[in-house]
Amino acid sequence: MTAYLVRRLIQMVIVTILSAMLGYSLLYLAPGGPLLFLQQMQNTGQRRVTEEDIARLKARYELDLYLPIRFTRWLAGFPAGPIQIGGVNLISPDTVVGCAIPGQVRLRYPDGTVEIREEGCVRDVTLADLAQRRTSRGILFGDFGLSQQIARDRPISDLLMTRLPYTIQLMGVSTLLAILIGVPIGIYSAVRQYSRFDYAMTGITFVGSSLPTLFMGVMAILIFSVLAKDAGLPYLPSGGAQGIRNYDIPWIGTVQAGSALDRTLRFIMPCAVLTFFNIAAWSRFIRSSMLEVLRQDYVRTARAKGVRERAVITKHALRNALIPFVTLLAGVLPTLVAGAAITESVFNWPGMGRLLVDALGRSDYTVAMAILFISTVLVLIGYLISDILYTVVDPRIRLA
Amino acid sequence: MATTTSTPAAPGAIERLQSRSEGQWAVVFRRFRRHRLAMASLAILIIIFTASILAPWIAPFPRDDIGLNRTRMPPMSVDPATGQLHILGTDHLGRDFFTRVIYAARVSLMVAISVTTLVAIIGTTLGLLAGFFGGWVDNTISRIMEFVATIPDLPILLILSAIMIQNADLIVLPSWIIGPVAWIMAVPNREATQVALLILVLSSLGWVGVARLMRGMVLQVREMQYIESARALGGSNAWILLKHVFPNAFPPLIVAFTLGLNGALVSEVAISFLGFGVQDPTPTWGNMMGFATSYMFNHPWMPLIPGLPIFLCSLAFNFIGDGLRDALDPRLKL
Repeated sequence: MTAYLVRRLIQMVIVTILSAMLGYSLLYLAPGGPLLFLQQMQNTGQRRVTEEDIARLKARYELDLYLPIRFTRWLAGFPAGPIQIGGVNLISPDTVVGCAIPGQVRLRYPDGTVEIREEGCVRDVTLADLAQRRTSRGILFGDFGLSQQIARDRPISDLLMTRLPYTIQLMGVSTLLAILIGVPIGIYSAVRQYSRFDYAMTGITFVGSSLPTLFMGVMAILIFSVLAKDAGLPYLPSGGAQGIRNYDIPWIGTVQAGSALDRTLRFIMPCAVLTFFNIAAWSRFIRSSMLEVLRQDYVRTARAKGVRERAVITKHALRNALIPFVTLLAGVLPTLVAGAAITESVFNWPGMGRLLVDALGRSDYTVAMAILFISTVLVLIGYLISDILYTVVDPRIRLA
Repeated sequence: MATTTSTPAAPGAIERLQSRSEGQWAVVFRRFRRHRLAMASLAILIIIFTASILAPWIAPFPRDDIGLNRTRMPPMSVDPATGQLHILGTDHLGRDFFTRVIYAARVSLMVAISVTTLVAIIGTTLGLLAGFFGGWVDNTISRIMEFVATIPDLPILLILSAIMIQNADLIVLPSWIIGPVAWIMAVPNREATQVALLILVLSSLGWVGVARLMRGMVLQVREMQYIESARALGGSNAWILLKHVFPNAFPPLIVAFTLGLNGALVSEVAISFLGFGVQDPTPTWGNMMGFATSYMFNHPWMPLIPGLPIFLCSLAFNFIGDGLRDALDPRLKL
């Protein structure tokens, strides 16, 4: 078991670094990049940008460093300056790690056109220069750097922390409700297979799981906010986690903006949409898993030896039917981060998914990468937890 | 299945024997026809699909015909200035909704079909190779699949498409991609780049599911006796793979294809809705939905116009997938 865990952890670290590399290459190999506007300014001739300006901006985004150095600094905050052990330099602090101002070579072609090509380096960046910069602790240690657009120069981790409670509230409550409602429905459907209840539930859950959440969300707002309000009925406010000003709801009275009632009313719709969607998934899953188990020999044996039907279902069938449930439960973990980007956007819910969408909308790719990275790590942790839980719930499975 | 009997007189035996000579696909279709919802879905899809193909001819107005004096008109209203009828009303820029919905159907459905086809081709090839050859081929492909599977779908799709679409002007795609895309989607060449990019983004991850499915099927089929006999007959790997393995591993792929169409459609709609997909003025159901929802508080019918086709197609793909799954499952008596 310990050996297995160690091997899994090593694998996880490798995959994490790989996905960080993938994210990083997306971030900086993307066409455009943070310096695109400089080029545009120069092309339109709006403003003269000096070489010093460019060097300063490049240093700000670390674009003047060589790619491997840039990556290790981003990943683990290394090297943060001259590499020393006990005050002794391991490598000369004058080692070149980047180029602040590239040299330019004018190429004159026979047909009269001139091309300016970057070649060589006028001013180098050395290890010693790095000591004067802000060095991130590295994303492996939870430092995602600074936001560039959304909240300029604020640490991304702060930004994530302000959004996290909302996402956990939404995803936590809706997942919990979905399990509490969906699992009994699934069990009952399976036990009374082909009954009216089963047909009705299979129909509803089929539609529920095939409808896009986007459509369900918009329809919910349309019916419970817009049409209900127009008809003078009590309606659910939509948009955001809390109101800006007080408002009146028929039969209930005035609702204070930011009060518990206001927050609850705004929470109902996004939560209901996600819950409905999840109920469909959970109950279908449990139904098929339960049907599978009810066909097994040990269930027949239990019935044959005269165990009461109730006990057969709860003691013999259900326990075994819940084994694959563990995999699904572990799959919930990564969705806690950005799994509800669409629902959160439709309802303007200030969670992580919405943050991802906002960040992308304003080309703040570092924030987006942080979210991607966190959710990848959560996927890996989810896999690990589900594998371990499997051995707990099913003694037939051994990890080796 | 009918049993062979030496006595010819058994009533119904003739029919049974005849039904046995029916081809595999005829049987599947006969079984599929029993699924009423799937047949209804097929009919709806055919109508929407035909409308989208005929969009340039049946659209009553030019696609981008802006009229600021007739914005956000409800369905079945007549433009007071020109006296022309707008069947589904007009959008926030006064463009005819019906015209845009059928043009959007073209883009949305064709993106879904292209993505699913690409995904099916890549996934099937890799899955076949991995399952059939095993060894280092299987190892390499499986490791890549595992890695791609750990990256959460929605965030990476959003990030990729945002990066691509926001810099679409800087990306030059070869004309042999742009040309066909523009022709199929009925959009001008300059709008085709973003559509092509979105197709590439959506296909870049989707192949994993198909490859995994195909690999699993091939692993089963590979052990069958008919493969052994094909090998004994001296068949080459390529011949066995194409003539024997692929056709026998194929049926589940059809179901996966149908459900994949739904997945691709919904992803495109979601990405365009959030503003990272196909941009206005190229209409898709997703970006129309995005604009319509911002006016829904005063014009509640607006989100319904792109929303209902999304709803219908999504449900239809699922019902057809369900019907096909039942029709293809020999254990199920219909």
